[in-house]
Amino acid sequence: MAKATPDRLRRRSPRMRAAFPYLLLTPALLYLLAITLYPGLFAIYQSLFVVKFLNWTWTGFGNYAAILKDREFWAALGNTAIIGGISLALQTAIALTVAYFAYRDPFIRGWRILYIMPMLFMPSAVAFIWKLAFNDGRVISDLLMSLGLIERNVDWLGNIWLARLTLITADVWQWTPFLFIIFVAGLQGQDQEIEEAARLDGASWPAIFWNISLPMLRPIIVVAVTLRGIDITTMFTNVYVMTQGSPGGATETMSYFIYRQGFRMFNFGYASAASVLMLIMTIIIAQTVVRRAFHSGKA
Amino acid sequence: MARMRKSRGESLLLRYLVLGSWALVCLLPILWFGTIALRPRTEIVTPQPIYWPTWSLDAWHLLMSDWPIALYLRNSVLAVGGSVIIDLILAIPAAYALARYDFKGREDIGFYILSTRMMAPAIVAVPIFFLFKSVGLLDSIWALMLIYAAINLSLVTWIIRSYMLDIPKELEDAARTDGAGDLRILWEIIIPACLPGIITAAVIAAIFAINEFLFTLLIASTSGAYTMSVALANFTGGSDGVIYNAIALVSFIAFVPVLILVILIQKHLSRGLTMGAVKG
Repeated sequence: MAKATPDRLRRRSPRMRAAFPYLLLTPALLYLLAITLYPGLFAIYQSLFVVKFLNWTWTGFGNYAAILKDREFWAALGNTAIIGGISLALQTAIALTVAYFAYRDPFIRGWRILYIMPMLFMPSAVAFIWKLAFNDGRVISDLLMSLGLIERNVDWLGNIWLARLTLITADVWQWTPFLFIIFVAGLQGQDQEIEEAARLDGASWPAIFWNISLPMLRPIIVVAVTLRGIDITTMFTNVYVMTQGSPGGATETMSYFIYRQGFRMFNFGYASAASVLMLIMTIIIAQTVVRRAFHSGKA
Repeated sequence: MARMRKSRGESLLLRYLVLGSWALVCLLPILWFGTIALRPRTEIVTPQPIYWPTWSLDAWHLLMSDWPIALYLRNSVLAVGGSVIIDLILAIPAAYALARYDFKGREDIGFYILSTRMMAPAIVAVPIFFLFKSVGLLDSIWALMLIYAAINLSLVTWIIRSYMLDIPKELEDAARTDGAGDLRILWEIIIPACLPGIITAAVIAAIFAINEFLFTLLIASTSGAYTMSVALANFTGGSDGVIYNAIALVSFIAFVPVLILVILIQKHLSRGLTMGAVKG
Protein backbone atom coordinates (compact mmCIF):
# COMPACT_ATOMS: atom_id res chain seq x y z
CA MET A 1 0.00 0.00 0.00
CA ALA A 2 2.90 2.33 0.72
CA LYS A 3 4.48 1.68 -2.65
CA ALA A 4 4.46 5.23 -4.01
CA THR A 5 7.31 7.10 -2.51
CA PRO A 6 6.02 9.86 -0.29
CA ASP A 7 8.23 12.55 -1.76
CA ARG A 8 6.94 12.13 -5.27
CA LEU A 9 3.37 12.23 -4.09
CA ARG A 10 3.79 15.34 -2.08
CA ARG A 11 5.23 17.24 -5.00
CA ARG A 12 2.59 16.22 -7.47
CA SER A 13 0.89 18.82 -9.57
CA PRO A 14 -2.29 20.47 -8.22
CA ARG A 15 -4.34 18.49 -10.71
CA MET A 16 -2.88 15.26 -9.40
CA ARG A 17 -3.65 16.35 -5.87
CA ALA A 18 -7.25 17.07 -6.79
CA ALA A 19 -7.57 13.62 -8.32
CA PHE A 20 -6.05 11.86 -5.33
CA PRO A 21 -9.22 11.33 -3.22
CA TYR A 22 -11.02 9.98 -6.29
CA LEU A 23 -8.17 7.53 -6.82
CA LEU A 24 -8.52 6.35 -3.25
CA LEU A 25 -12.24 5.82 -3.78
CA THR A 26 -12.07 4.16 -7.19
CA PRO A 27 -11.50 0.52 -6.17
CA ALA A 28 -14.34 0.53 -3.64
CA LEU A 29 -16.69 2.35 -6.00
CA LEU A 30 -15.96 0.00 -8.89
CA TYR A 31 -16.70 -2.96 -6.65
CA LEU A 32 -19.97 -1.48 -5.43
CA LEU A 33 -21.04 -0.45 -8.92
CA ALA A 34 -20.36 -3.99 -10.08
CA ILE A 35 -22.78 -5.39 -7.54
CA THR A 36 -25.44 -2.69 -7.78
CA LEU A 37 -25.36 -1.14 -11.24
CA TYR A 38 -24.69 -4.35 -13.14
CA PRO A 39 -27.42 -6.37 -11.40
CA GLY A 40 -29.77 -3.39 -11.69
CA LEU A 41 -29.26 -3.12 -15.44
CA PHE A 42 -29.40 -6.89 -15.86
CA ALA A 43 -32.66 -7.05 -13.93
CA ILE A 44 -34.19 -4.26 -16.03
CA TYR A 45 -33.12 -6.04 -19.23
CA GLN A 46 -34.27 -9.47 -18.10
CA SER A 47 -37.57 -8.08 -16.84
CA LEU A 48 -38.52 -7.34 -20.45
CA PHE A 49 -38.45 -11.02 -21.38
CA VAL A 50 -40.32 -14.15 -20.56
CA VAL A 51 -37.53 -16.47 -19.52
CA LYS A 52 -37.99 -20.22 -19.73
CA PHE A 53 -34.65 -21.81 -19.00
CA LEU A 54 -32.39 -20.75 -21.88
CA ASN A 55 -35.29 -19.36 -23.88
CA TRP A 56 -35.78 -15.61 -23.68
CA THR A 57 -38.89 -14.24 -25.40
CA TRP A 58 -39.37 -10.50 -25.70
CA THR A 59 -42.45 -9.27 -23.90
CA GLY A 60 -41.77 -5.58 -23.38
CA PHE A 61 -43.59 -4.40 -20.32
CA GLY A 62 -45.65 -7.58 -20.19
CA ASN A 63 -44.13 -8.77 -16.91
CA TYR A 64 -44.80 -5.42 -15.27
CA ALA A 65 -48.39 -5.35 -16.49
CA ALA A 66 -48.88 -8.86 -15.11
CA ILE A 67 -47.24 -8.07 -11.78
CA LEU A 68 -49.29 -4.96 -11.17
CA LYS A 69 -52.37 -7.14 -11.60
CA ASP A 70 -50.90 -9.98 -9.54
CA ARG A 71 -52.68 -10.33 -6.20
CA GLU A 72 -49.74 -12.28 -4.78
CA PHE A 73 -47.38 -9.38 -5.45
CA TRP A 74 -49.58 -6.87 -3.64
CA ALA A 75 -50.13 -9.37 -0.86
CA ALA A 76 -46.36 -9.79 -0.47
CA LEU A 77 -45.95 -6.02 -0.33
CA GLY A 78 -48.70 -5.75 2.27
CA ASN A 79 -47.35 -8.66 4.32
CA THR A 80 -43.88 -7.12 4.37
CA ALA A 81 -45.36 -3.87 5.64
CA ILE A 82 -47.62 -5.53 8.23
CA ILE A 83 -45.14 -8.07 9.60
CA GLY A 84 -42.26 -5.60 9.44
CA GLY A 85 -44.25 -2.72 10.89
CA ILE A 86 -45.60 -4.63 13.90
CA SER A 87 -42.26 -6.27 14.51
CA LEU A 88 -40.38 -2.96 14.33
CA ALA A 89 -42.84 -1.21 16.65
CA LEU A 90 -42.63 -4.02 19.21
CA GLN A 91 -38.86 -4.25 19.24
CA THR A 92 -38.48 -0.48 19.46
CA ALA A 93 -40.84 -0.31 22.45
CA ILE A 94 -39.19 -3.23 24.24
CA ALA A 95 -35.66 -2.05 23.53
CA LEU A 96 -36.47 1.46 24.76
CA THR A 97 -38.06 0.22 27.97
CA VAL A 98 -35.33 -2.27 28.78
CA ALA A 99 -32.58 0.21 27.85
CA TYR A 100 -34.11 2.87 30.06
CA PHE A 101 -34.11 0.55 33.08
CA ALA A 102 -30.68 -0.92 32.30
CA TYR A 103 -28.41 1.96 31.39
CA ARG A 104 -27.76 3.23 34.91
CA ASP A 105 -27.64 -0.20 36.46
CA PRO A 106 -24.30 -1.18 38.03
CA PHE A 107 -24.44 -4.52 36.21
CA ILE A 108 -25.05 -3.02 32.77
CA ARG A 109 -22.11 -4.85 31.17
CA GLY A 110 -23.51 -8.18 32.32
CA TRP A 111 -27.03 -7.36 31.18
CA ARG A 112 -25.72 -6.26 27.82
CA ILE A 113 -23.92 -9.53 27.16
CA LEU A 114 -26.98 -11.47 28.27
CA TYR A 115 -29.38 -9.46 26.13
CA ILE A 116 -27.21 -9.53 23.05
CA MET A 117 -27.07 -13.31 22.83
CA PRO A 118 -30.14 -13.89 20.63
CA MET A 119 -28.58 -11.62 18.00
CA LEU A 120 -25.45 -13.75 17.86
CA PHE A 121 -27.14 -16.93 16.69
CA MET A 122 -27.30 -17.41 12.96
CA PRO A 123 -30.68 -16.22 11.68
CA SER A 124 -31.34 -19.63 10.19
CA ALA A 125 -30.73 -21.22 13.60
CA VAL A 126 -33.11 -18.78 15.24
CA ALA A 127 -35.74 -19.61 12.65
CA PHE A 128 -35.36 -23.28 13.54
CA ILE A 129 -35.56 -22.53 17.28
CA TRP A 130 -38.95 -20.91 16.80
CA LYS A 131 -40.16 -23.38 14.20
CA LEU A 132 -39.56 -26.10 16.79
CA ALA A 133 -41.03 -24.09 19.66
CA PHE A 134 -44.22 -23.17 17.80
CA ASN A 135 -44.93 -25.91 15.32
CA ASP A 136 -42.92 -29.10 15.50
CA GLY A 137 -42.29 -29.29 19.26
CA ARG A 138 -45.58 -27.73 20.42
CA VAL A 139 -43.72 -26.10 23.28
CA ILE A 140 -45.48 -22.73 23.11
CA SER A 141 -48.89 -24.40 23.04
CA ASP A 142 -47.91 -26.60 25.98
CA LEU A 143 -46.72 -23.63 28.04
CA LEU A 144 -49.86 -21.64 27.25
CA MET A 145 -52.00 -24.63 28.19
CA SER A 146 -50.25 -25.08 31.51
CA LEU A 147 -50.93 -21.41 32.20
CA GLY A 148 -54.56 -22.10 31.43
CA LEU A 149 -54.66 -19.59 28.59
CA ILE A 150 -55.68 -22.04 25.91
CA GLU A 151 -57.30 -25.46 25.97
CA ARG A 152 -56.02 -27.28 22.93
CA ASN A 153 -52.90 -27.39 20.77
CA VAL A 154 -52.78 -24.41 18.44
CA ASP A 155 -52.05 -24.92 14.76
CA TRP A 156 -49.87 -21.86 14.30
CA LEU A 157 -49.83 -22.21 10.53
CA GLY A 158 -53.59 -22.62 10.33
CA ASN A 159 -54.42 -18.99 10.84
CA ILE A 160 -53.15 -15.89 9.05
CA TRP A 161 -52.46 -13.85 12.17
CA LEU A 162 -51.01 -16.72 14.19
CA ALA A 163 -48.59 -17.54 11.37
CA ARG A 164 -47.57 -13.89 11.20
CA LEU A 165 -47.20 -13.88 14.96
CA THR A 166 -44.63 -16.68 14.78
CA LEU A 167 -42.52 -14.67 12.32
CA ILE A 168 -42.87 -11.53 14.42
CA THR A 169 -41.84 -13.40 17.57
CA ALA A 170 -38.70 -14.76 15.94
CA ASP A 171 -37.73 -11.34 14.58
CA VAL A 172 -38.43 -9.49 17.84
CA TRP A 173 -36.52 -12.06 19.87
CA GLN A 174 -33.47 -11.95 17.65
CA TRP A 175 -33.25 -8.24 16.83
CA THR A 176 -34.47 -6.31 19.86
CA PRO A 177 -30.84 -6.51 21.09
CA PHE A 178 -29.70 -4.49 18.06
CA LEU A 179 -31.85 -1.55 19.13
CA PHE A 180 -31.13 -2.13 22.83
CA ILE A 181 -27.36 -1.83 22.37
CA ILE A 182 -27.73 1.43 20.46
CA PHE A 183 -30.31 2.94 22.85
CA VAL A 184 -28.18 2.14 25.91
CA ALA A 185 -25.19 3.82 24.29
CA GLY A 186 -27.36 6.82 23.48
CA LEU A 187 -28.77 7.07 27.01
CA GLN A 188 -25.32 6.73 28.55
CA GLY A 189 -24.06 9.51 26.34
CA GLN A 190 -26.77 11.90 27.47
CA ASP A 191 -26.28 14.73 29.88
CA GLN A 192 -27.39 13.11 33.15
CA GLU A 193 -27.82 16.39 35.00
CA ILE A 194 -31.09 17.38 33.40
CA GLU A 195 -32.69 14.07 34.39
CA GLU A 196 -31.22 14.30 37.86
CA ALA A 197 -32.61 17.79 38.32
CA ALA A 198 -36.07 16.64 37.21
CA ARG A 199 -35.86 13.72 39.62
CA LEU A 200 -34.98 16.04 42.51
CA ASP A 201 -37.95 18.19 41.55
CA GLY A 202 -40.09 15.12 42.16
CA ALA A 203 -40.95 14.17 38.58
CA SER A 204 -42.09 10.55 38.16
CA TRP A 205 -40.01 8.21 36.06
CA PRO A 206 -42.54 7.91 33.24
CA ALA A 207 -42.62 11.69 33.04
CA ILE A 208 -38.84 11.88 32.98
CA PHE A 209 -38.64 9.15 30.36
CA TRP A 210 -41.33 10.69 28.19
CA ASN A 211 -40.41 14.36 28.48
CA ILE A 212 -36.64 14.31 28.86
CA SER A 213 -34.90 11.07 27.89
CA LEU A 214 -36.99 10.31 24.83
CA PRO A 215 -36.70 13.73 23.13
CA MET A 216 -32.96 13.83 23.78
CA LEU A 217 -32.59 10.34 22.34
CA ARG A 218 -34.62 11.14 19.24
CA PRO A 219 -31.84 11.47 16.65
CA ILE A 220 -30.35 8.16 17.78
CA ILE A 221 -33.74 6.45 17.74
CA VAL A 222 -34.27 7.68 14.19
CA VAL A 223 -30.96 6.26 12.95
CA ALA A 224 -31.37 2.93 14.77
CA VAL A 225 -34.98 2.38 13.74
CA THR A 226 -34.19 3.33 10.15
CA LEU A 227 -31.38 0.80 9.93
CA ARG A 228 -33.50 -1.91 11.54
CA GLY A 229 -36.47 -0.99 9.36
CA ILE A 230 -34.40 -1.44 6.22
CA ASP A 231 -33.31 -4.89 7.34
CA ILE A 232 -36.84 -5.92 8.23
CA THR A 233 -38.11 -5.12 4.76
CA THR A 234 -35.68 -7.69 3.40
CA MET A 235 -36.99 -10.48 5.67
CA PHE A 236 -36.36 -13.83 4.03
CA THR A 237 -34.73 -16.46 6.22
CA ASN A 238 -37.52 -16.79 8.76
CA VAL A 239 -40.13 -17.12 6.04
CA TYR A 240 -38.04 -19.70 4.20
CA VAL A 241 -37.53 -21.86 7.28
CA MET A 242 -40.71 -21.32 9.28
CA THR A 243 -43.72 -20.78 7.06
CA GLN A 244 -42.75 -20.87 3.37
CA GLY A 245 -45.43 -18.23 2.94
CA SER A 246 -48.33 -20.29 4.32
CA PRO A 247 -51.18 -20.17 5.08
CA GLY A 248 -52.28 -19.15 1.61
CA GLY A 249 -49.45 -16.67 1.10
CA ALA A 250 -50.32 -14.67 4.21
CA THR A 251 -46.70 -14.67 5.37
CA GLU A 252 -45.00 -14.27 2.02
CA THR A 253 -42.69 -11.26 2.08
CA MET A 254 -41.31 -9.37 -0.94
CA SER A 255 -37.98 -11.16 -0.73
CA TYR A 256 -39.67 -14.54 -0.54
CA PHE A 257 -41.95 -13.61 -3.45
CA ILE A 258 -38.94 -12.82 -5.64
CA TYR A 259 -37.18 -15.99 -4.51
CA ARG A 260 -40.23 -18.15 -5.18
CA GLN A 261 -40.90 -16.66 -8.61
CA GLY A 262 -37.23 -16.97 -9.59
CA PHE A 263 -35.90 -20.07 -7.98
CA ARG A 264 -38.97 -22.22 -7.36
CA MET A 265 -41.09 -21.40 -10.40
CA PHE A 266 -38.20 -20.35 -12.67
CA ASN A 267 -40.05 -17.26 -13.90
CA PHE A 268 -36.82 -15.31 -13.99
CA GLY A 269 -38.18 -12.46 -16.11
CA TYR A 270 -41.09 -12.05 -13.73
CA ALA A 271 -38.81 -12.20 -10.68
CA SER A 272 -36.58 -9.57 -12.27
CA ALA A 273 -39.52 -7.26 -12.86
CA ALA A 274 -40.47 -7.62 -9.19
CA SER A 275 -36.83 -6.91 -8.27
CA VAL A 276 -36.86 -3.72 -10.34
CA LEU A 277 -40.04 -2.53 -8.64
CA MET A 278 -38.56 -3.29 -5.22
CA LEU A 279 -35.35 -1.51 -6.22
CA ILE A 280 -37.31 1.61 -7.18
CA MET A 281 -39.03 1.57 -3.78
CA THR A 282 -35.67 1.13 -2.05
CA ILE A 283 -34.15 4.10 -3.88
CA ILE A 284 -37.09 6.30 -2.97
CA ILE A 285 -36.88 5.31 0.69
CA ALA A 286 -33.09 5.70 0.73
CA GLN A 287 -33.22 9.16 -0.81
CA THR A 288 -35.86 10.45 1.58
CA VAL A 289 -35.99 8.70 4.96
CA VAL A 290 -32.46 7.36 5.26
CA ARG A 291 -30.66 10.42 4.00
CA ARG A 292 -32.52 12.57 6.49
CA ALA A 293 -32.01 10.07 9.32
CA PHE A 294 -28.27 10.02 8.86
CA HIS A 295 -28.09 13.79 8.72
CA SER A 296 -30.07 14.22 11.91
CA GLY A 297 -27.94 11.51 13.53
CA LYS A 298 -24.88 13.64 13.03
CA ALA A 299 -26.42 16.71 14.58
CA MET B 1 -45.20 -0.90 44.32
CA ALA B 2 -43.69 1.41 41.81
CA ARG B 3 -46.35 4.00 42.43
CA MET B 4 -45.49 4.35 46.10
CA ARG B 5 -41.99 5.49 45.40
CA LYS B 6 -42.39 7.11 42.04
CA SER B 7 -41.62 10.57 43.29
CA ARG B 8 -38.04 9.41 43.82
CA GLY B 9 -37.56 7.91 40.37
CA GLU B 10 -38.28 4.33 39.46
CA SER B 11 -38.04 1.76 42.20
CA LEU B 12 -35.34 -0.87 42.14
CA LEU B 13 -37.98 -3.56 42.33
CA LEU B 14 -39.58 -2.42 39.09
CA ARG B 15 -36.19 -2.10 37.47
CA TYR B 16 -35.14 -5.64 38.29
CA LEU B 17 -38.56 -6.96 37.39
CA VAL B 18 -38.19 -5.53 33.89
CA LEU B 19 -34.54 -6.49 33.46
CA GLY B 20 -35.07 -9.96 34.92
CA SER B 21 -38.07 -10.78 32.75
CA TRP B 22 -36.33 -9.73 29.58
CA ALA B 23 -33.28 -11.75 30.58
CA LEU B 24 -35.54 -14.80 30.90
CA VAL B 25 -37.08 -14.13 27.49
CA CYS B 26 -33.59 -13.99 25.99
CA LEU B 27 -32.13 -16.94 27.84
CA LEU B 28 -34.86 -19.57 28.17
CA PRO B 29 -35.14 -20.33 24.45
CA ILE B 30 -31.34 -20.60 24.24
CA LEU B 31 -31.12 -22.96 27.21
CA TRP B 32 -33.98 -25.04 25.91
CA PHE B 33 -32.31 -25.20 22.48
CA GLY B 34 -29.17 -26.30 24.32
CA THR B 35 -31.05 -29.26 25.74
CA ILE B 36 -32.22 -30.06 22.22
CA ALA B 37 -28.60 -30.38 21.12
CA LEU B 38 -28.00 -32.92 23.89
CA ARG B 39 -30.96 -35.25 23.45
CA PRO B 40 -31.80 -38.14 21.13
CA ARG B 41 -33.99 -37.45 18.10
CA THR B 42 -36.81 -39.50 19.53
CA GLU B 43 -37.38 -36.93 22.28
CA ILE B 44 -37.67 -33.83 20.08
CA VAL B 45 -40.85 -33.96 18.03
CA THR B 46 -43.22 -35.59 20.50
CA PRO B 47 -46.96 -35.22 21.18
CA GLN B 48 -46.05 -33.81 24.60
CA PRO B 49 -42.90 -31.65 24.85
CA ILE B 50 -40.13 -33.13 27.01
CA TYR B 51 -38.34 -30.48 29.05
CA TRP B 52 -35.90 -32.75 30.88
CA PRO B 53 -34.54 -35.18 28.29
CA THR B 54 -32.44 -38.31 28.45
CA TRP B 55 -29.08 -36.69 27.82
CA SER B 56 -27.20 -38.02 24.82
CA LEU B 57 -24.47 -37.11 22.37
CA ASP B 58 -26.36 -38.47 19.36
CA ALA B 59 -26.12 -35.18 17.52
CA TRP B 60 -22.38 -35.03 17.98
CA HIS B 61 -21.93 -38.57 16.65
CA LEU B 62 -24.19 -37.78 13.69
CA LEU B 63 -22.16 -34.68 12.83
CA MET B 64 -18.91 -36.57 13.07
CA SER B 65 -20.03 -39.53 11.02
CA ASP B 66 -22.55 -38.35 8.43
CA TRP B 67 -21.77 -34.69 7.81
CA PRO B 68 -18.47 -33.18 6.73
CA ILE B 69 -18.69 -30.59 9.47
CA ALA B 70 -14.97 -29.80 9.28
CA LEU B 71 -15.44 -28.93 5.60
CA TYR B 72 -18.35 -26.62 6.40
CA LEU B 73 -16.32 -24.88 9.06
CA ARG B 74 -13.38 -24.49 6.71
CA ASN B 75 -15.65 -23.07 3.99
CA SER B 76 -17.15 -20.60 6.43
CA VAL B 77 -13.77 -19.46 7.71
CA LEU B 78 -12.27 -19.09 4.22
CA ALA B 79 -15.24 -17.27 2.69
CA VAL B 80 -15.80 -15.00 5.67
CA GLY B 81 -12.13 -14.29 6.35
CA GLY B 82 -11.40 -13.62 2.68
CA SER B 83 -14.35 -11.28 2.39
CA VAL B 84 -13.23 -9.25 5.40
CA ILE B 85 -9.73 -8.87 3.94
CA ILE B 86 -11.17 -7.70 0.60
CA ASP B 87 -13.36 -5.22 2.46
CA LEU B 88 -10.49 -3.74 4.44
CA ILE B 89 -8.27 -3.35 1.38
CA LEU B 90 -11.03 -1.51 -0.49
CA ALA B 91 -12.57 0.38 2.43
CA ILE B 92 -9.55 1.89 4.16
CA PRO B 93 -8.48 4.12 1.24
CA ALA B 94 -12.09 5.00 0.50
CA ALA B 95 -12.78 5.89 4.12
CA TYR B 96 -9.61 7.98 4.20
CA ALA B 97 -10.76 9.95 1.17
CA LEU B 98 -14.22 10.51 2.66
CA ALA B 99 -12.86 11.50 6.07
CA ARG B 100 -9.90 13.66 5.15
CA TYR B 101 -10.33 15.26 1.74
CA ASP B 102 -12.59 17.98 0.52
CA PHE B 103 -13.65 17.22 -3.01
CA LYS B 104 -16.59 17.65 -5.29
CA GLY B 105 -19.29 15.02 -4.83
CA ARG B 106 -18.01 13.80 -1.48
CA GLU B 107 -21.46 13.82 0.14
CA ASP B 108 -23.09 12.04 -2.79
CA ILE B 109 -20.39 9.41 -3.12
CA GLY B 110 -20.51 8.77 0.61
CA PHE B 111 -24.26 8.39 0.52
CA TYR B 112 -24.11 6.13 -2.51
CA ILE B 113 -21.75 3.83 -0.62
CA LEU B 114 -24.07 3.89 2.39
CA SER B 115 -27.14 3.21 0.29
CA THR B 116 -25.79 -0.03 -1.18
CA ARG B 117 -26.36 -1.46 2.31
CA MET B 118 -30.08 -0.88 1.87
CA MET B 119 -30.52 -3.05 -1.16
CA ALA B 120 -32.42 -6.22 -0.33
CA PRO B 121 -30.35 -9.29 -1.21
CA ALA B 122 -33.37 -10.64 -3.07
CA ILE B 123 -33.27 -7.69 -5.50
CA VAL B 124 -29.87 -8.65 -6.84
CA ALA B 125 -30.26 -12.38 -6.30
CA VAL B 126 -31.42 -13.26 -9.81
CA PRO B 127 -28.81 -11.16 -11.69
CA ILE B 128 -25.98 -12.27 -9.40
CA PHE B 129 -27.03 -15.89 -9.86
CA PHE B 130 -26.89 -15.49 -13.65
CA LEU B 131 -23.59 -13.61 -13.47
CA PHE B 132 -21.88 -16.26 -11.38
CA LYS B 133 -23.40 -19.01 -13.48
CA SER B 134 -22.04 -17.46 -16.69
CA VAL B 135 -18.50 -17.19 -15.31
CA GLY B 136 -18.64 -20.64 -13.72
CA LEU B 137 -18.44 -19.43 -10.13
CA LEU B 138 -21.48 -21.22 -8.77
CA ASP B 139 -20.70 -23.69 -6.01
CA SER B 140 -17.48 -21.99 -5.11
CA ILE B 141 -16.13 -20.40 -1.98
CA TRP B 142 -14.77 -17.58 -4.16
CA ALA B 143 -18.26 -16.55 -5.16
CA LEU B 144 -19.34 -16.47 -1.53
CA MET B 145 -16.28 -14.46 -0.61
CA LEU B 146 -17.00 -11.86 -3.32
CA ILE B 147 -20.65 -11.60 -2.31
CA TYR B 148 -19.96 -11.26 1.41
CA ALA B 149 -17.37 -8.58 0.65
CA ALA B 150 -19.89 -6.70 -1.46
CA ILE B 151 -22.61 -6.88 1.18
CA ASN B 152 -20.36 -5.50 3.92
CA LEU B 153 -18.24 -3.00 2.00
CA SER B 154 -20.51 -0.03 2.75
CA LEU B 155 -20.66 -0.86 6.43
CA VAL B 156 -16.91 -1.29 6.76
CA THR B 157 -16.21 1.95 4.89
CA TRP B 158 -18.60 3.98 7.03
CA ILE B 159 -17.41 2.60 10.34
CA ILE B 160 -13.76 3.23 9.54
CA ARG B 161 -14.58 6.68 8.17
CA SER B 162 -16.26 7.55 11.46
CA TYR B 163 -13.18 6.57 13.46
CA MET B 164 -10.88 8.46 11.07
CA LEU B 165 -12.90 11.62 11.59
CA ASP B 166 -12.00 11.44 15.29
CA ILE B 167 -8.26 11.50 14.73
CA PRO B 168 -6.93 14.99 15.48
CA LYS B 169 -5.69 16.81 12.42
CA GLU B 170 -2.56 17.98 14.26
CA LEU B 171 -1.21 14.44 14.22
CA GLU B 172 -1.12 14.50 10.45
CA ASP B 173 0.08 18.07 10.19
CA ALA B 174 3.09 17.24 12.31
CA ALA B 175 3.97 14.32 10.07
CA ARG B 176 3.40 16.41 6.97
CA THR B 177 5.83 19.08 8.08
CA ASP B 178 8.29 16.26 8.63
CA GLY B 179 7.94 15.54 4.93
CA ALA B 180 5.66 12.50 4.93
CA GLY B 181 3.39 11.99 1.89
CA ASP B 182 -0.30 11.17 1.94
CA LEU B 183 0.00 7.42 1.59
CA ARG B 184 2.69 7.23 4.24
CA ILE B 185 0.53 9.27 6.59
CA LEU B 186 -2.35 6.88 5.94
CA TRP B 187 -0.17 3.84 6.57
CA GLU B 188 1.90 5.02 9.50
CA ILE B 189 -0.43 7.37 11.36
CA ILE B 190 -4.07 7.04 10.38
CA ILE B 191 -4.33 3.25 10.27
CA PRO B 192 -2.67 2.67 13.68
CA ALA B 193 -4.72 5.50 15.20
CA CYS B 194 -8.05 4.08 14.05
CA LEU B 195 -7.21 0.43 14.66
CA PRO B 196 -10.13 -0.04 17.10
CA GLY B 197 -12.46 1.13 14.33
CA ILE B 198 -10.88 -1.22 11.81
CA ILE B 199 -11.20 -4.16 14.19
CA THR B 200 -14.81 -3.25 15.01
CA ALA B 201 -15.63 -3.04 11.31
CA ALA B 202 -13.94 -6.38 10.65
CA VAL B 203 -15.81 -8.14 13.45
CA ILE B 204 -19.20 -6.79 12.46
CA ALA B 205 -18.55 -7.61 8.80
CA ALA B 206 -17.56 -11.13 9.82
CA ILE B 207 -20.77 -11.61 11.80
CA PHE B 208 -22.95 -10.39 8.95
CA ALA B 209 -21.07 -12.64 6.55
CA ILE B 210 -21.54 -15.67 8.81
CA ASN B 211 -25.24 -14.85 8.98
CA GLU B 212 -25.77 -14.36 5.25
CA PHE B 213 -28.29 -16.88 4.05
CA LEU B 214 -30.01 -16.13 0.75
CA PHE B 215 -26.93 -15.89 -1.48
CA THR B 216 -25.28 -18.80 0.23
CA LEU B 217 -28.39 -20.81 -0.49
CA LEU B 218 -28.45 -19.82 -4.17
CA ILE B 219 -24.76 -19.94 -4.92
CA ALA B 220 -23.73 -22.99 -2.97
CA SER B 221 -26.12 -25.46 -4.53
CA THR B 222 -23.96 -28.53 -4.01
CA SER B 223 -22.25 -29.46 -0.81
CA GLY B 224 -18.83 -28.42 -2.14
CA ALA B 225 -19.27 -24.84 -0.98
CA TYR B 226 -21.63 -25.25 1.93
CA THR B 227 -21.02 -22.97 4.83
CA MET B 228 -22.31 -23.44 8.36
CA SER B 229 -25.37 -21.33 7.66
CA VAL B 230 -26.57 -23.34 4.70
CA ALA B 231 -25.46 -26.63 6.17
CA LEU B 232 -27.87 -25.80 8.94
CA ALA B 233 -30.80 -25.29 6.62
CA ASN B 234 -29.98 -28.55 4.96
CA PHE B 235 -30.34 -30.58 8.13
CA THR B 236 -33.92 -30.76 7.05
CA GLY B 237 -32.57 -34.10 5.85
CA GLY B 238 -35.18 -34.93 3.19
CA SER B 239 -37.09 -38.07 4.14
CA ASP B 240 -35.58 -37.95 7.63
CA GLY B 241 -37.41 -34.75 8.53
CA VAL B 242 -35.71 -31.91 10.34
CA ILE B 243 -32.73 -33.10 12.39
CA TYR B 244 -33.15 -30.62 15.22
CA ASN B 245 -30.49 -31.86 17.59
CA ALA B 246 -27.82 -31.54 14.90
CA ILE B 247 -29.10 -28.09 13.97
CA ALA B 248 -28.94 -27.00 17.58
CA LEU B 249 -25.43 -28.35 18.02
CA VAL B 250 -24.15 -26.63 14.85
CA SER B 251 -25.70 -23.33 15.85
CA PHE B 252 -23.95 -23.46 19.22
CA ILE B 253 -20.65 -24.31 17.52
CA ALA B 254 -21.05 -21.16 15.42
CA PHE B 255 -22.33 -19.10 18.36
CA VAL B 256 -19.27 -19.44 20.60
CA PRO B 257 -16.66 -17.71 18.41
CA VAL B 258 -19.13 -14.96 17.53
CA LEU B 259 -19.84 -14.34 21.23
CA ILE B 260 -16.11 -14.10 21.96
CA LEU B 261 -15.57 -11.63 19.11
CA VAL B 262 -18.45 -9.48 20.28
CA ILE B 263 -17.27 -9.39 23.88
CA LEU B 264 -13.88 -8.23 22.60
CA ILE B 265 -15.39 -5.22 20.80
CA GLN B 266 -18.18 -4.62 23.29
CA LYS B 267 -17.45 -0.94 23.80
CA HIS B 268 -17.55 -0.26 20.08
CA LEU B 269 -20.64 -2.27 19.27
CA SER B 270 -23.22 0.51 19.16
CA ARG B 271 -21.00 2.64 16.99
CA GLY B 272 -20.32 -0.24 14.66
CA LEU B 273 -23.94 -1.30 14.34
CA THR B 274 -25.01 2.24 13.38
CA MET B 275 -22.14 2.53 10.88
CA GLY B 276 -20.57 5.23 13.00
CA ALA B 277 -23.65 7.40 13.41
CA VAL B 278 -23.97 6.81 17.17
CA LYS B 279 -20.86 7.13 19.28
CA GLY B 280 -21.15 4.84 22.27
